[in-house]
Amino acid sequence: MFVTNKREPDLANTWAGLEEGVNTVMTKLECGMSHAKYMQLYTSIYDYCTSNSSSPQNTVHKTGVFIMKGAHIYASLNEYLQRHMKSLLTASESLVDENFLIYYTEQWAKYSVASKFVHRLFAYVNRFWVNRELDDSHKDVYDIYTLTLVSWRDNFFLHAQSKVMNAILSLVERQRNGETINTTLIKHVVDNFVSLGLNELDFKKSTLEIYSKYFQNPFIEHTRSYYQLESEKFIAENSIVDYMKKAEIRLAQEEKRVEEYLHISTKGVLIGKCEEVLIKSHMLPMQDEFQNLLDQDKIEDLTRMYGLLCRIPEGLDKLRTIFEAHVKKQGLISVEKVAEAAPTEAAEDDEDKPPPTKSKSKKPDSKADVVDPKVYVDSLLEVHKKYAELVNGAFRGEPGFNASLDKACREFVNRNSVCKTGTSKSPEMLAKFCDALLRKSSKVAEETEVEDILNSIMTVFKYVEDKDVFQKFYSKMLAKRLVNSTSANEDMESSMISKLKEACGYEYTSKLQRMFTDVTLSKDLNQAFKDQMDLSHGTSKDDYDFNIMVLATGQWPLTPPNTSFNIPEDLMKTYERFQRFYQNKHQGRKLNWLFQMSKGELKTTYLKASKAGYTFQVSIYQMGILLQYNNGISFTWNELLTNTNLSPEILGGQLGSLLKAKVLLICPSTSKVGVDKEAKFDLNPDFKSKKIRINFNVPIKSEQKVESDETHKTIEEDRKLLIQAAIVRIMKTRKSLKHLSLMDEVINQLQSRFKPKISDIKKCIDILLEKEYIERSKEQKDQYNYVA
Amino acid sequence: MVVSSKVILSSSDAQSFTVEKKVAERSILLKNMLEDIGDSEEPIPLPNVSGKVLKKVIEYCEHHKDDDPAPAEEEREVFDNARSRNDEISEWDGTFITCENEELFEIILAANYLDIKPLLDLGCKTVANMIRGKNAEQIRELFNIENDFTPEEEEQIRRENEWAVDA
Repeated sequence: MFVTNKREPDLANTWAGLEEGVNTVMTKLECGMSHAKYMQLYTSIYDYCTSNSSSPQNTVHKTGVFIMKGAHIYASLNEYLQRHMKSLLTASESLVDENFLIYYTEQWAKYSVASKFVHRLFAYVNRFWVNRELDDSHKDVYDIYTLTLVSWRDNFFLHAQSKVMNAILSLVERQRNGETINTTLIKHVVDNFVSLGLNELDFKKSTLEIYSKYFQNPFIEHTRSYYQLESEKFIAENSIVDYMKKAEIRLAQEEKRVEEYLHISTKGVLIGKCEEVLIKSHMLPMQDEFQNLLDQDKIEDLTRMYGLLCRIPEGLDKLRTIFEAHVKKQGLISVEKVAEAAPTEAAEDDEDKPPPTKSKSKKPDSKADVVDPKVYVDSLLEVHKKYAELVNGAFRGEPGFNASLDKACREFVNRNSVCKTGTSKSPEMLAKFCDALLRKSSKVAEETEVEDILNSIMTVFKYVEDKDVFQKFYSKMLAKRLVNSTSANEDMESSMISKLKEACGYEYTSKLQRMFTDVTLSKDLNQAFKDQMDLSHGTSKDDYDFNIMVLATGQWPLTPPNTSFNIPEDLMKTYERFQRFYQNKHQGRKLNWLFQMSKGELKTTYLKASKAGYTFQVSIYQMGILLQYNNGISFTWNELLTNTNLSPEILGGQLGSLLKAKVLLICPSTSKVGVDKEAKFDLNPDFKSKKIRINFNVPIKSEQKVESDETHKTIEEDRKLLIQAAIVRIMKTRKSLKHLSLMDEVINQLQSRFKPKISDIKKCIDILLEKEYIERSKEQKDQYNYVA
Repeated sequence: MVVSSKVILSSSDAQSFTVEKKVAERSILLKNMLEDIGDSEEPIPLPNVSGKVLKKVIEYCEHHKDDDPAPAEEEREVFDNARSRNDEISEWDGTFITCENEELFEIILAANYLDIKPLLDLGCKTVANMIRGKNAEQIRELFNIENDFTPEEEEQIRRENEWAVDA
């Protein structure tokens, strides 16, 4: 309907003009083109495409098929491009290597600029013919720019690519050998290969097909063989340590290479291949070297080895195993040293002379008892610290190594030469160390350091399997600190408890916390009692300074005295008053008096040696003995026994320190305490001492040992109860459970406290079967049911 | 790019128009050419556009010179979709395009030649609006088209398209 009134252009004329123009663009674009020329070329395409038809761009083909005029132009251009490519190819034939690459890349640079130019010049063909063809999903039709790429690819590239790659590979090899090369040449080739990867579905996007097939594959293969050769040769002539340095450098170089001139997609493949050739193929000798590096603490080489092997899947597995064994061994050695040094230390009874002369005369068990808890814990910590630093430094805190470290530490913390008697030794030592730290006038550490040390104690605590043992000992020692007011610092105490709470939960520390509450309550109670007494009796000389702690039975690890005792006459009044006072305040509560923990002070008036009199710090039992001597100067064993009502063992023990200090004298002096029933104990009127205050209330060594053993024994009993409780808890929720699953769950529930023995669990199941908490299932023998 | 730089356009009948480069670049053809070859002091010949029409086209481009820049080829599709949904014609455009049929067709041709998509769309929409609601006879009259169907042919076509006729 729109008819131009120009003469109709024919293809031959139109194309002749166009070809001349296109050729100028392709070959002499640098000379420029005038605007008039550009418009002329564009217009000639436009005129041709819009000529000679009733609908503007179409012509009716003889066969009846519509062929758009654009197709003529398109086909002619395509033909021209083919010719042009062939001429480039022919011209390149005499060139080789770098010269060829230079030619190829220069031509490409020219061509790609020219192609974009032609693409726009032929915009009308693109707009009205190519787009329509594409909309109709015609294959093998491209927009003009893509057409130029296809032509380059099919008519030039495919014939030249192997020549290109040979030249490229020899360049890269020269660079790897240390020569300087023209990397931009390679960069341009890479860009060319990438550009030629056409996405047939969307010309705007490209694929890496061409690059990957024709560039990357040969490049990777060449890399592989180059490094295979190099690494094998190098490793044969040099040490593993040097090889690792070499490999590290090579890997860094290849990463840089990707950035410098390769396509980024090659990075993964190239580095992967290099890792395979440089690391994986030589993994075994590297792993074998690991132990040596550990033995010599070669941090730098260990770091390097980690850096290399962590790139390989499973590369670290073997290292972790070796590492675990190594740490365990170091831990054991460290403890062994301590254990061996200990007897001499103990013999000299002095801290600052530990000549580690080997003394095999003593049994390991006794060794363990004399090892200083601090030295022991330090020996554990030292090893942990060293290897934790290694893991966090050289091994970059890798979780697998951390796990190995934990496993190794758990092993040597719980099972070492000090712990020969069992895993409960470590927690006992740890608790003792805590006690030493938290006790008043502790010389173990400066106050400022205590917090740090407590933190490191927690590090060891984490590895302790028998956490319940620790709890037992800790609470015993805490009780002593609190009862005897020997705790150095309340802040430290609560800091430690909150650490334990964090590690083991509320339940673990609830009793410990209750103990503190009792101490506070007792303070108030004493004040209230004193006020009450002042009120009802007034102050009188007969009253004694009296201080009491009332402690909840269940919360404190204390037992009632194992002996009867006659309260001395002089104390009776206060005793009864408090008893009444307390019963009044809290009806229905029962007070158990723990006389074995009570103490007092006596002032002497009978001694000539001191006019002012000595002050004796004594236990209440000792007080009971000594107060007898207000009524006489000599008593027989039996008299003392009757008067105090103490058991013979206790009486003997209590007399011990009084006799040793010569407050009392045994008569005849050859007789043995508690054996010679007729022996007399005389008050020594000539007692002398340099000190004015003398403490006779010293713990008796054998008693300490017995106490420790007893604690261990009660732990066994407690554990049985804990296991039973766990079984009942589990069965109550599950109702019915297989034997094995029950075992698993029990172990699971308890492992944060201790590792229950299978045989113990079985025993507990039997007990519960007997008590009819659970029963065997009638259908399945290995199944239990909960009995409600 | 210097904003004030000028371009001289020369029509088929040798009339010269000096316009801002920005105005000329509403034509994708000119924009691409100026990009590829560079600016020119010489007049740029537009052999397929008469002075009369070119004047009109320049008027349009002047008015729209500050519109969003003509989209690059890659984004065209998205852009076209957005625009084709909107068949409203702004007031200025409406007044601008109101002219004799002959002139309208020439503007459309020029817009196509110069690759000024919004102007081409404006022209085509206008033609579409002219056709809307008219029967074949009226359309023939409007565009001065000779009826070359035989009555039989015409009857057949009508039957085939019955379904499309509004009830």
